[in-house]
Amino acid sequence: MGGAWKGLAISPAKVKRRGENFTRLTGEWMTPRRRFLSALYGGRVDKVPAMTLSSVITLDSMEIADAWFPEAHLDAEKMARLAATAHEELGLDTIMPVFHSQLEADALDAATWWGTVDNWPATDDHVLTDPEDFKIPSDYLKRPSFEAALGAIRLLRKRYPDVGIVGKVYGPWSVGYHLVGIENFLMDTILDPDKIRRYLEVLLPASMMSAHAQLEAGADAVMWADHANRELVSPETYRDFLLEMHKGVTVEMGGPSIFHCCGETTDRIDYFAEAGWDCFHFESQVDPHVAKEIAGERMSLMGNINNPTTLFSGTYEDTYEACMKVLEAGINGIAPEGSVPLGTKIDVLRALADSARDYSDTHRPDGRLVVHDPPPAGNGG
Amino acid sequence: MAQLSDIANEFIRSEIEEFLERPEEIERNVALFSRVSPAMQDIAEALIEGDNVAVDRMTREALDGGVGALEIMDDGLIAGMGIVGIKFREGYVFVPEVLVSARAMKAGMAHIEPILAASGVDPIGTVIMGTVQGDLHDIGKNLCIMMLRGGGFTVIDLGVNTSPAEFVAAVEEHHAHLIGMSALLTTTMPNMAKTVEAFKDAGLRDSVRFMVGGAPVTPEFGKDVGADGYGKDALACVELAKKLAVEVN
Repeated sequence: MGGAWKGLAISPAKVKRRGENFTRLTGEWMTPRRRFLSALYGGRVDKVPAMTLSSVITLDSMEIADAWFPEAHLDAEKMARLAATAHEELGLDTIMPVFHSQLEADALDAATWWGTVDNWPATDDHVLTDPEDFKIPSDYLKRPSFEAALGAIRLLRKRYPDVGIVGKVYGPWSVGYHLVGIENFLMDTILDPDKIRRYLEVLLPASMMSAHAQLEAGADAVMWADHANRELVSPETYRDFLLEMHKGVTVEMGGPSIFHCCGETTDRIDYFAEAGWDCFHFESQVDPHVAKEIAGERMSLMGNINNPTTLFSGTYEDTYEACMKVLEAGINGIAPEGSVPLGTKIDVLRALADSARDYSDTHRPDGRLVVHDPPPAGNGG
Repeated sequence: MAQLSDIANEFIRSEIEEFLERPEEIERNVALFSRVSPAMQDIAEALIEGDNVAVDRMTREALDGGVGALEIMDDGLIAGMGIVGIKFREGYVFVPEVLVSARAMKAGMAHIEPILAASGVDPIGTVIMGTVQGDLHDIGKNLCIMMLRGGGFTVIDLGVNTSPAEFVAAVEEHHAHLIGMSALLTTTMPNMAKTVEAFKDAGLRDSVRFMVGGAPVTPEFGKDVGADGYGKDALACVELAKKLAVEVN
């Protein structure tokens, strides 16, 4: 590790990756993995991380990796190769191999449409009408969706020991949408709330098994999504159905936890922090200043870069500028707010890492990098 | 000018008092509910409460009692749904409550629609509605469809995962001029642009008007993809459809 530490003394290095140059900052002393994990816990970093906490897969990246949808969803090698483009091509500090939202639902017998090269997988039929009928299959973690995902995480861990690997879990609320149907599920929050509580009870172990398996396979952290969005339900619905359950999840998960909930979530961020999530991956509808004020030191904040207007429709310059604004708010790391549209241009996505680097370069207290001194020699790298 | 106290139904009065903020909406609803019969106010109350059994029963009773189908739809069902829509827009209620009210409206419309269809009332226009390709979410679209039908439109529902070619084919088959596209996912929103492009390729773009909506969709995004209008919710969708129908009729 001593050799790596000497890098502090050299001028900005050009790191060659697949024909692209990524400029390192003078004085970078963290690996992407350490940077991501430290930021996740609100700790010191040498540079604000730029990450993927969802999917940054595009048609461009499929071509580069020669790994295509929909095959890449069910093939560990293709999934790993495609996911790695987040680091190799975009210079991001994390890699997230599960691109879709079907991991648990498919293994629980939901009818999955695996999509096409330019369309995402989705559940096209709902199989559950009574929580008492639900049973986790004995080969749940051996089903094709898990074989691919867990295999990809293992490959990535081996290939990228210094890069953050992020797993993805759909919690019982979101799996409930897939299995029961979103309309029926939401109506029963009013018509039969006890039935919804029972669904959550029986589905929770499936999500926990998924989280544990991904951590065991080598994921550094797990992004847990339960879509109790403002566009769908009230903050009180989150409080009444999910808050206590999530308090248990954050304790029992056994690894760093990132919570994701789509949309304008300002009115429920306080509950998310109370649940004990280490980090909240949030969308651009939320003002990052306000989110930071609510979350305080209880929970770190990552994400916030708009997908449709900025990343998909915008230019590299638009994205760079948007990232700088979010970085100025002082959140713990930037990332697309959710899975980016497949037609997003890879050159635009490169603005994520570039802006985080440049922001960090111009925010050096006393001429040093972002926060705190590097660790003592011999303990670095 | 009608006063709140002119409304017989106490529940409706308190709904207006508690949840309506915009002066023009207060005025409109006070005028509406003070004009309609107590039986229609009761239907509206049951619908707002999401009581599908009561709406079903009261609609049948009203029809049996000689009340016109159009009157029940406008003064009971749509009037009640209008209050629900405002409460949703203002954040007093959320999708579950709207869905439960929509279920109640459906129970009433099941009696009304056959009568209206048989009476030969001309629709305002025909709207082709679908969730765009790759997207299987249809709650918002279905709410819009229900309100559009209630608002006097004929709606052809193409369902979910609708390809650009299916939109084009439906417009040609039904000689429609209005198209509503919905998307819930940021990953599928770009397919709205592909659909507009397909109409350009088919030489049909100038004869149709596109409406877009869905949780992540914004007015700006709508402009970017070449749509003619954006509706934030089902109520706005109906208003937009009425406006665009004038342009193409």
